[in-house]
Amino acid sequence: MKSSTTLELKYHEKRKKNYNFSNNNIDNKKVKIKYNKKAESEFFVDNSALAGFTGERILYMAIRELIENSLDSCEANHILPEIRIELKHIDQENDLWSISCTDNGVGIPSEKVPVAVCSFLTSGKYVEKQQRGLFGVGLKMIAAFSTKDTDTPIKIWSKDLEEMVEYYHELRTDISTNKPIILEKNVVPDSDSIIKHNHGFKISATLRARLSPITKNKINDYVTQSSIVNPYADITFENDDGKITFERRTEKMPEPAKEVLPHPAEMDLQTLKKAILNFRNQKTTIQGVLSNSFQKLSNEKAKEIINRTDIKNKPADQYVEQELIKIVNICKHTKFQSPNTDHLSPIGEQILTAGMMSEYTIVNNKEQNISKNEGNGKNINLKILKPAMTSYSSRSTVINNRPTIIECGIAYGGDISSFKLYRFANKIPLLYDEGSDVAREVVSEVNINKMGITKKDAKEQFAQGQNNLKSDRVAEILPIHIFFHICSTKIPYKSAGKESIASEGDMKRYMKYCLSDLYRKVSAQIRKDLKIKEAENRLRLYKFYIPLISEAISDTLDINIEKLNQAFNYVAEKHVKKERMHEEQSLDTEENSNNSGKKILKERKKQNLILESNRHKKIHKEEKKEKKSKVSKTLRKNFEKPTLFDFEIR
Amino acid sequence: MPPRNKKHKDIIKKIRLVMKTISDEVLIQKKIPELEIAKIGYDNTIWSEKKKMLTIGEKKVVVSPNSTKKIPTFAQYLVMANAVRKLLDEEMESTIRGMYYATLSSVGDDRNKEKFWKGQEDSDDAIKAIELITGTPREEFSVTSKPKGMISGPITLSVGGDTIDCNLGSRATSQLIPTNTLDVEITDVKANFVMVVEKDTVLNNIRKSGFIQKYKAILMTGSGEPDRATRIMVKKLSEDWKLPVVVFADADPWGLGIALRYKIGSESLSYDSDRLVTPRVKVLGMMFSDIYEYNIPEVARLAASQEDINRANDMKKKPWLQESQWQKELDLFLKKKEKCELDAFFKHGFKYLAEVYLPRKLQDAGVI
Repeated sequence: MKSSTTLELKYHEKRKKNYNFSNNNIDNKKVKIKYNKKAESEFFVDNSALAGFTGERILYMAIRELIENSLDSCEANHILPEIRIELKHIDQENDLWSISCTDNGVGIPSEKVPVAVCSFLTSGKYVEKQQRGLFGVGLKMIAAFSTKDTDTPIKIWSKDLEEMVEYYHELRTDISTNKPIILEKNVVPDSDSIIKHNHGFKISATLRARLSPITKNKINDYVTQSSIVNPYADITFENDDGKITFERRTEKMPEPAKEVLPHPAEMDLQTLKKAILNFRNQKTTIQGVLSNSFQKLSNEKAKEIINRTDIKNKPADQYVEQELIKIVNICKHTKFQSPNTDHLSPIGEQILTAGMMSEYTIVNNKEQNISKNEGNGKNINLKILKPAMTSYSSRSTVINNRPTIIECGIAYGGDISSFKLYRFANKIPLLYDEGSDVAREVVSEVNINKMGITKKDAKEQFAQGQNNLKSDRVAEILPIHIFFHICSTKIPYKSAGKESIASEGDMKRYMKYCLSDLYRKVSAQIRKDLKIKEAENRLRLYKFYIPLISEAISDTLDINIEKLNQAFNYVAEKHVKKERMHEEQSLDTEENSNNSGKKILKERKKQNLILESNRHKKIHKEEKKEKKSKVSKTLRKNFEKPTLFDFEIR
Repeated sequence: MPPRNKKHKDIIKKIRLVMKTISDEVLIQKKIPELEIAKIGYDNTIWSEKKKMLTIGEKKVVVSPNSTKKIPTFAQYLVMANAVRKLLDEEMESTIRGMYYATLSSVGDDRNKEKFWKGQEDSDDAIKAIELITGTPREEFSVTSKPKGMISGPITLSVGGDTIDCNLGSRATSQLIPTNTLDVEITDVKANFVMVVEKDTVLNNIRKSGFIQKYKAILMTGSGEPDRATRIMVKKLSEDWKLPVVVFADADPWGLGIALRYKIGSESLSYDSDRLVTPRVKVLGMMFSDIYEYNIPEVARLAASQEDINRANDMKKKPWLQESQWQKELDLFLKKKEKCELDAFFKHGFKYLAEVYLPRKLQDAGVI
């Protein structure tokens, strides 16, 4: 009792102190705490960091949200996306930016446009399937910020897939109530139509924000990387530096994610209650509710669960919470089949390869020739990087009870000049916090050295001129781009910022498998290239050093330098050629032994039976050979059959 | 000097022969040429129980322009061989640094320009290779290094005909030991023994105290790692003039190593041990036990580094340090983990080293 009063006193003192700062008059008055309900919009505007909208990053986040919404809107109905984004600095003095995004997605029904744009936590995305973006917050954030900082309304043109009529809206958000304010709404006559397709959506907003060069680059990176994992999208990006178009490189789109029932392993009181509520008018038994509301839960299984609770079977809505929690607990301890992955939409080998094969990068030619380009605002260009080879690998697993698909791609050589790691989560590029991402750890921990690529060779052949190498790791010296894509309905992000992924469960292990696969696939090529480069290098060295050697010899022996030079060059070239031929031969024989690997094995076994003990030595030798062919066989297997989704769910 | 010229002619002949073999390989046999050279280093150094010194083993390395790494090396050796040939043809002398400059150039085109030598170490290595190829020490082909060793005492040298008296009356300076060893001749010695110390600072202190006059001693130092001229001088005094030679170095594994250079030789010069090593040298100090016997105060002792410890552990296994006295000393060091410089005796007074420590040690050893 005593202690609690002192605590209370302390508490009051603290409060008093706090108020002293603001108002001395309140000094001895009792303060009454008011309990108010805060509108969602007000909460999110006050805590904008929750959605990533912080100072520097406002424009970056806005672009991100708009692109993601557009892509989702297209993919839901298997529409090849066509997206145009514009970001223009319209008022330098007041830091005002105009941002707009047009797509050919399914649009939003005219009735829903105001709430979909302005009301927080209203979304068509609250279902169990893989989607991009923050559900029901991003677009609203743009609307709220626009309302908060400017007097310009948000302009929306929307042509819904079913309505087929283009509506124009001018909206603002009533931040204190989370409700839209409709300033204007009308049907757009065909003559003024903005949406060119039968369906689509355009938003135009004004935001107050600052944009540092770093964030500007991040926006560029975001658009570029989006185009890598969405090569089926046609994305046009225009800013004050110019206009660039990431052309569509494949017509193939990933299978859209399907909505699925929740898995019983994730069941809690809330999900169970919700499920019961869905059946409330039908007098359904709890057994029926369970088997109809969760995946991998058959009628028999449901029965078994109910039996174990020792509760009489009665209509579902007559259960009390205590009984329900019993069911939940039993489900937690019951083994179910692994969840299915229909609700996930991985990129897939074909599409990712299309993205990797022509990787776009933005080239800023502002620095180089200002005078030339100043007038027309054409300061950025696109360059397409074509690698010499790409490879793909994927694995599925269950992490935190959620099925997760890991995809990994590698692009090597060609136009690629140095190492780079790309990370994606549900097709969204992750640009910040690379250092703490699990992908970074995976790259550090999988050794490419084991594939016969030594650091020394890699450094000698690839690191020339790169004096300030950031890393000593072999892979990071090589000209490779590594892509990791994690798909899940619940990505284990490290922090609220959602920019890096934590290593949870088997995630890292499976990522490592993928990367090892890829290293195995590209290493033969890299080894070959290293050899070729070495030969080139050597020829270059011969060119430089032979004259010096010849001079030394002819000076001492007094013989003709030209003749010696010629002879020496001939010998050197012959030597390099011979070595190369020898290498190619050995590569060929390696392949041959691959093809006939099985045959050889059988024959050897037969022979071994016949062989007598005095030929022991020979057997030993052949065993060695066998081992060799075994190794290369597995190599070949991986090469032939790029495992699409070998469901290794345990 | 006809004998010297004859030697020079032999060396030129050897270089010509090597060049001829290479050019024949290229011109006639049409193959990548090869140069076989004795391997230098710890893995080709053998302890000779008979000679009591380190000698070079049988291992060879083949230097051939068949890999990226060896193309420059091969060119460097040949360019250096030609430069040595030229030097001898012109009857000139050079230091190793001079040879570095004489052969300096750049290779490659405008885009890939490299230096022919990365540094003087590269050209020093090439000179060593020429020594091995021709089987002659570089002094014999007139390539020397900067003098580094010092000598003081009743000894007279003749250097290329000029007389140098090292018994400098002033006690104020020492004579540098000339590095053109072929030109150096010892003409007169009036000393009872030779004392070599590790560092010139210690030598200066001893000289100043009148030690030379009192004990009729020749004082020498290699100023740390001794150069070839100093080692050769020690050998001549010991073997040609039959003088006892004693060595004093710091009481740490490093100092012991330096003292042993005179006595058993070194891995990097094992191919030239017959000319450089004096097995009869006595290493008298400073012993690790002296630190405690002569009460070197704790402030003047130094803590042993991990490197020192590793080195001492290594030394314990060496065949030339198997005598119980050395094993005891090294065990003591490994136990106490303390080392000490000769200079530490100055803590007992500036004359303590020359007037107490050294005479006592020399008496114990029966040198005086």
